[in-house]
Amino acid sequence: MSDPNQTTQTPAAPATVTLTIDGKQVTVPKGTNVIEAAKKLGIEVSAFCYHPGLSVVAVCRQCLVKVEGQPKLQPSCQAIATDGMVVHTADDWSRGARRQMLEFTLVNHPVDCPICDKAGECTLQQLYFEHDNEASRLDVPKVRKPKVVDLGPHIVLDAERCILCTRCIRVCDEVAGQHQLEMKNRGDHEEIATAPGAELDNPYAINTVDVCPVGALTAKDFRFTMRAWELMTTPSVCPGCATGCNIEIHHKNERVWRLVPRHNPEVNGHWMCDEGRFTYHRLRTRRMVAPTINGLPARWDEALGHAARLMAAAIQHNRDSVGIVFSPQHTNEDNWALARLAREMWGVGRFYVGGKGPVPERADKILRDADINPNRRGVKQVLGDLTLAGAQVLGEDLAQGEIKALLVLGHDLELGPEPMERAAMLDALVVIADSEAGIAARARVALPSAAWAEVAGTMTNRQGLVQRLHPAFAPPGQALPAWEIITRLGQAAGSALGYGHVRQVFDEMVGKVGELQGQAARWGRETRPIQLRFANSRG
Amino acid sequence: MAEIKKLVLGRKVVEDLDEDQELPHELMTVNMGPSHPAMHGTVRIVLTVDGERVVESDVQPGFLHRCFEKESEYATYTQIFPYTDRLNYISPMINNVGYAMAVEKLLGLTDAVPVRAQYIRVIVSEISRITDHLTCVGASAMELGAFTPFLYFLKAREWLFELLEELSGARLTYSYVRIGGVVSDLTPDFNQRLTDLLDKIDGVMLEVEGLLNNNRIFRDRMEGVGPFSAAEALSFGLTGPCLRACGVDYDVRKDNPYLVYDRLEFDVPVGTAGDCFDRYLVRLEEMRQSIRMLRQAMRDIPAGPVIVDDPRVALPPKKEAYNTIEAMIRHFKHIVDGIRVPPGEAYAWCEGGNGELGFFVVADGTGRPWKCYCRSPSLINTQTVSKTIQGHLISDVVPIFGMINMIGGECDK
Amino acid sequence: MARNVLDALTAKFGGAILETSSAYGDDVAVVKRESLLDVAGFLKSDPAMAFDLPCYCTCVDYLGMEMLTVSPTTPLAVPSIPSALPPEAPRYAMVYELRSIKHRHRVRLKVPLHDNDLKLPTLSGLWAAFNWLERETYDMYGVAFEGHPDLRRIFMYDEFIGHPLRKDYPKERRQPLVRREWTDE
Repeated sequence: MSDPNQTTQTPAAPATVTLTIDGKQVTVPKGTNVIEAAKKLGIEVSAFCYHPGLSVVAVCRQCLVKVEGQPKLQPSCQAIATDGMVVHTADDWSRGARRQMLEFTLVNHPVDCPICDKAGECTLQQLYFEHDNEASRLDVPKVRKPKVVDLGPHIVLDAERCILCTRCIRVCDEVAGQHQLEMKNRGDHEEIATAPGAELDNPYAINTVDVCPVGALTAKDFRFTMRAWELMTTPSVCPGCATGCNIEIHHKNERVWRLVPRHNPEVNGHWMCDEGRFTYHRLRTRRMVAPTINGLPARWDEALGHAARLMAAAIQHNRDSVGIVFSPQHTNEDNWALARLAREMWGVGRFYVGGKGPVPERADKILRDADINPNRRGVKQVLGDLTLAGAQVLGEDLAQGEIKALLVLGHDLELGPEPMERAAMLDALVVIADSEAGIAARARVALPSAAWAEVAGTMTNRQGLVQRLHPAFAPPGQALPAWEIITRLGQAAGSALGYGHVRQVFDEMVGKVGELQGQAARWGRETRPIQLRFANSRG
Repeated sequence: MAEIKKLVLGRKVVEDLDEDQELPHELMTVNMGPSHPAMHGTVRIVLTVDGERVVESDVQPGFLHRCFEKESEYATYTQIFPYTDRLNYISPMINNVGYAMAVEKLLGLTDAVPVRAQYIRVIVSEISRITDHLTCVGASAMELGAFTPFLYFLKAREWLFELLEELSGARLTYSYVRIGGVVSDLTPDFNQRLTDLLDKIDGVMLEVEGLLNNNRIFRDRMEGVGPFSAAEALSFGLTGPCLRACGVDYDVRKDNPYLVYDRLEFDVPVGTAGDCFDRYLVRLEEMRQSIRMLRQAMRDIPAGPVIVDDPRVALPPKKEAYNTIEAMIRHFKHIVDGIRVPPGEAYAWCEGGNGELGFFVVADGTGRPWKCYCRSPSLINTQTVSKTIQGHLISDVVPIFGMINMIGGECDK
Repeated sequence: MARNVLDALTAKFGGAILETSSAYGDDVAVVKRESLLDVAGFLKSDPAMAFDLPCYCTCVDYLGMEMLTVSPTTPLAVPSIPSALPPEAPRYAMVYELRSIKHRHRVRLKVPLHDNDLKLPTLSGLWAAFNWLERETYDMYGVAFEGHPDLRRIFMYDEFIGHPLRKDYPKERRQPLVRREWTDE
């Protein structure tokens, strides 16, 4: 009985258990199931319906293993590891059960691999090849089900391929919180169907395509566009909103084909929202590929020289009439380089923040945030304690004629029509953006920058985590990363920022910004090109 | 006479000439190749000659470099077979077999390859060896001016190519061998056709030998040209007919028998002087031995499967693959992922047309090799050319280079 | 056959032989770079070894030799970004294979090399075949052979930049044969 007045306490009992799997011992936290314990040892027990981010239902029976002391095989996803448990995953009984389950699963599976989207990343293919490889014993026709069922705005169901694992139902129930999918019929006529009166339109619907082990659920956005094994994968961060879900960019031939979530227990778990998945379409719409002066293409040196002259003239005339607009759509490094150029080299202090306006309906407790800019917090960090005036204030200042020159980073600046006209009439409107929409179309000098999927850099999400983006491919045309444009602009204006590599920008930023002190390791390691493969292959 | 001398010697005054003195000379750098009729498969030799005599030479390969090794790192193990075809493109079956042996070594399947498949591999290898030697001897003879043997031998080669075309579908780039066996069985009348062909080739060889062996011009141009001592040959890494012509009886098929060579009776011809004529004779005799081996192999070949029975290595039969999901999946995983080879490094070698053809394969557990290096005998043999032609005439470069049998595809990979 | 080659090497050179193995029927000895010339000389001149036929020499680049770890419960391959090799592990290994006609045995030597220290002594003085083979390795991997009489590229043209078989040289990269003038931007 401990004295409540004592500050020290006896150490709590360890919350771990030790069990033996295939002759090897492993210690896991209490409450871990056997399949995760086996994964720790590097043993992959095959499973279809088990997913670490979803509840355990043990419907597929693919993960059956032999546990000593139990008369029947146990599903390892449901069996919780206990101290002294002895598990065999590779004995004849378990292996036979695995083969039998695969045979049952394949009994009604259509011979669709050549036309199925999932081919190449299909769990059924992988498990059959790893654990079974027996010839078919079927001599009766397979059960036929509808093959093109429109479940919702984004998803198509092929009921024949479904192996009835119910992962999609659990995703809708548990991740999205909306009951939109159900099983109907019984036995081998079971099918996935939408719940009465509902369709599969929740904002996390495409996660069901990710978790589906076969090609039953396919996303309309991606189906029939690209074979999975031809894609290259690059890790990055979604630019859709301030949550900053970790993603993988799947690309080939300098074109992004889809975005999928990357597991990060701190930020997004295993999931991401549908809108975030579609942000890659922006990479190919209305991109600026060449610098322009007054709307006409120009060479880089000409454009930079012209822009530098305009800014220098404006600064000389009146330093306080020069406005700098930062972008929460661009990386920390871009904003930092701009901040240094503006503050230290040019001595201007009129700062604004652009970006898209908030969408309050988006905010849910799951993943989506009302702020659809990925790096607002990063801009705040980079600028330190300076006040962040938004587009509204910029509009007012423009109306009052206080601004004579604007250097804008990013094209997402939500100005009303009148302020936009005034901005267009400015003598010096220099825009660094990746798209020629918005204010970039009205600029005197427009400098093309690389988009989020083409830059190496960091963004800070709403939780304050600094996350690294990796470039998937080179920017189109003559576009350059924004920090490099800013460095060259500074050079053209006679002030050397001296950045040769984006890592230098990051290191300097981390050294000087209080909130980022000690975060130098967030830069991570460089990746090399990896081709998407399944089952222990690599490109 | 004095006028003629003036013309010949340019501006020199006749009185300055002393007939006992040497004529003024200087070294000249001449380029031979890469586009040259005698430089088989593009090789450039930069010759520094003193008149007609070669003082120094720089043999520059690499004009046919097609990045075999780099491409292999991005292709599955089965996809590499077409690349190996294009290494020594005159005897492609041997390349296929050598590469398959290296991967089978890593998979531990060397003994599991069915005996019929092993016999078939030996048969097609020996046919490829015959085509290789036919081409080499024929082309070298043609370069020395003997056009008829070239045509006769190429006609014989055509018969063999037609036979292999029936078997595999291609005349030159067969991709017939697979990991664990061969892709399909012999055609039903293969035995009969091959036996007939071997008789015909015997006849052709007799004819050509009759034309060349005691031919004054041929012998003068080949005998004593480019002799090589055994010790030097070994130091240069020479293997194959060129080494055997020097007197060293190193033949992989006898030294380290692979497939079913230990069940076949054959001799290894060995020369004495290591010059071009010995190499020519060794090659002719090797063709005879190959024919002998083929006759035995066709007699002894057993019935049975032609590919190993392991579902992780062999593709399923097409009928099953199109009609059952299980075989479809298996087919898919083979093509997309490749044959998963456990991590390791192994070197397997076989007797190619030009010498020891080996493949050093580094596997990393995936379906693509980490590294696939080809020990190409042509590259190593060609290194000796520079040494051999020193001191010889330019016209001797032709038989020396011809008898090395540098195949551009293998030399430059 | 004379006594085992690997035994002889370990008996004579002790610590310079870092490890030996006989997997797949190949005898492999991992040799320290500093002792390479001594080991090679021994293998050539010792009458019980008598390695007179050089077989080949090449280099292996182990950069990024990791495997994608995939579990059936995650639908997509999650690439493991860090390399499986610790940073101080040697990135390259030079591989030589030698053969003896006299005794009919063979041996493979591996010499581990680090990234910023890619050089080792040439063996072309012992066996003439390594002249071109080392040139090939230099061309493809950038290994500098000290004492080589003629170290230049053999396959690639002279103006080529880089070493193509290294793992960080992308397969798709194209290089012009003729240098172009840089336009200033």
